[in-house]
Amino acid sequence: MKRTDAGGGTDSSAKLVTATRAENAPDVAIVEYNTLPAMIVAGVAQDITEYADGLEGEFAPGVWSQATFDGATYGVPQDAGPQALTYNKARFDELGIEVPTTWEEFAEAAEKVHEADPDTYITTFAPDDFGGIAAFAQQAGAEWWSVDGDTWTVDFDDDASVAVADYWQDLIDRDLVQAEPLLTPEWNAKVNDGEVLSWPAGLWAAGVLYGVAEESAGDWAMAPLPQWEEGDSAVGFQGGSAVVVTTSAEHPEAAAEFARWMGTADEASAAQIEQGQYPASLAGQELTLESDPPLLMPKQKDYWETAAEITRNTIPEISWGPNTNVASSAFQDAMSTAVTNGTPLRDALTEIEAEVVDDMKTAGFEVAQK
Amino acid sequence: MTATYRRVRRRWGAPLLFLLPAALLFVAFLAIPIGYALYLSFRGMRVSGGGPFGLRQETWVGLDNYVAVFTDPELLAGLGRLAVYGVIAVPLTLGFALAFALLLDLPRVRGARFSRTAIFIPYAVPGVVATLLWGFLYLPSTSPGNWILERIGLGGIDVLHGPILFPSVANIAIWGGVGFNMIILYTSLRGIPTDVYEAARLDGASEWDIAYRIKIPLVGPALILTGLFALIGTLQVYGEPATLRPMTSAISQTWVPLMMIYRDAFTRDNLSVAAASSVALALGTLVVSIILLRVTQKRSFGGS
Repeated sequence: MKRTDAGGGTDSSAKLVTATRAENAPDVAIVEYNTLPAMIVAGVAQDITEYADGLEGEFAPGVWSQATFDGATYGVPQDAGPQALTYNKARFDELGIEVPTTWEEFAEAAEKVHEADPDTYITTFAPDDFGGIAAFAQQAGAEWWSVDGDTWTVDFDDDASVAVADYWQDLIDRDLVQAEPLLTPEWNAKVNDGEVLSWPAGLWAAGVLYGVAEESAGDWAMAPLPQWEEGDSAVGFQGGSAVVVTTSAEHPEAAAEFARWMGTADEASAAQIEQGQYPASLAGQELTLESDPPLLMPKQKDYWETAAEITRNTIPEISWGPNTNVASSAFQDAMSTAVTNGTPLRDALTEIEAEVVDDMKTAGFEVAQK
Repeated sequence: MTATYRRVRRRWGAPLLFLLPAALLFVAFLAIPIGYALYLSFRGMRVSGGGPFGLRQETWVGLDNYVAVFTDPELLAGLGRLAVYGVIAVPLTLGFALAFALLLDLPRVRGARFSRTAIFIPYAVPGVVATLLWGFLYLPSTSPGNWILERIGLGGIDVLHGPILFPSVANIAIWGGVGFNMIILYTSLRGIPTDVYEAARLDGASEWDIAYRIKIPLVGPALILTGLFALIGTLQVYGEPATLRPMTSAISQTWVPLMMIYRDAFTRDNLSVAAASSVALALGTLVVSIILLRVTQKRSFGGS
């Protein structure tokens, strides 16, 4: 077996598409859920429904639906990234901030943090973070792509998405969050100095933060993501990936067997947990309960119980479009420009939708008029 | 008949044989890729077959890609940003290079060898490394300049947003490019026979007069050459803004035309549109270069 680290994200998908055209793609590949539809229409991922007997029961419905389209299975879920709030507990305690459970409380906490220490912000709004903001919108009930028969509907500026845009707009305008890219040397320095106190992101955030702010490990903890309505518990997914069998595989049945092993075997899950990933399979999630908390929050004993609780409440049906790559790229530019020029974020959503629809029509997809 | 044939073969055989390696390399690594890019620019991925997840397949699309490229306001905006960048970077790079070359060429100048190396070294630093290095110097939290400004009570400045972004990006190219251009100009200066200077000195010319009236006109062709390189280099700007992009939201994925081509080809998986923009950019570069050479031909090549 030969393994290649293709870099993840858009790098991986570009390499996979190119390799598929040259007919030398690997037999199996790990693909992020949101690029899976693009990989299907690009002819990279193979329909493995006939080899997927009994696989569905291994996963929670929300996770399973991310690898199944139009009744056909295109991959075995491997890791899941439900959104949570990873926060600097030591600084929260120091400033007397309670962990917010609703977005309204989050805004109030943002105000208190900034009042107590003008150099400090509760979090960063990264305008180029397509996956993160998409998940916020999904939590509020947005459905950016939906498909009915052969016809797609694209809706980036529905009420839910606009409400999310306006919420962050308000925090930016009042200088309660910083609008800047994530994981820059600048941002890492602020996280280390305790000037950025939380990151609402996929469960993998603990691993990423440990990588950039190792010195502050032990100060951190994880809590469920704030909700739009008091008492709700649904969250969206940010990231996570499935193992697909590519169209270049000469022995699809054997490749699918291996994909099943990667997604469901205990050994595979144990290796994932060690790396700080959250397994997609129910058995793998069970396994986390016996594990130590991630290195970033060694003191948080209930980390894995909380994670399991969050995952039980993810939104069941999320559909990504066949041109998520175009949407993500349009999103990054439109949102960044809006933040840089101080124009409304809600207008950026309308621009993104126009670009996405345009691309789908050019490619020959049927897109319904809203 | 046979004799003529043999003579012809003798006359053409050897040159053809010597041309063969270069010709093969040219065809394999230049002609075929250019031809393929042209071919791709008339093709496109379109959905074939039904279903919401119908496969996309390559077909002929005529001029669709060119229409898409030329009607995209971002291409024009990118060229505009490129122009601002070029107006800053080209004159400053050439100006500094010429000034340093003239200084090093002064008689009895001290520390010439050290200065020459010191000015040249940035050119040896890979572009991506140079950009990351400058990026750290630019970001407010890691910038020593801002650290000092804050210590003496002045607020820090953010050089990665607003209009100051252009000089910030150009600065990286200037820092890296001055040394290379200086060496070309300096070599050209060393090629001027010294009796010209002696004659000028006998006529009472100062070093300033010599520089202004003799050296600069005589290195004219070298200046044109470096100017042409700088112009083509400007049209091909990619590394600096692309490497700085993750550090600032002010640089979009289409900030300059080459970044847009990269985005279309690899982020959006649209090789055809990328090929069409590449063809357009290459033709544009050719036209601009020809115009520059025409305009300056008289000066640089003695009007021949």
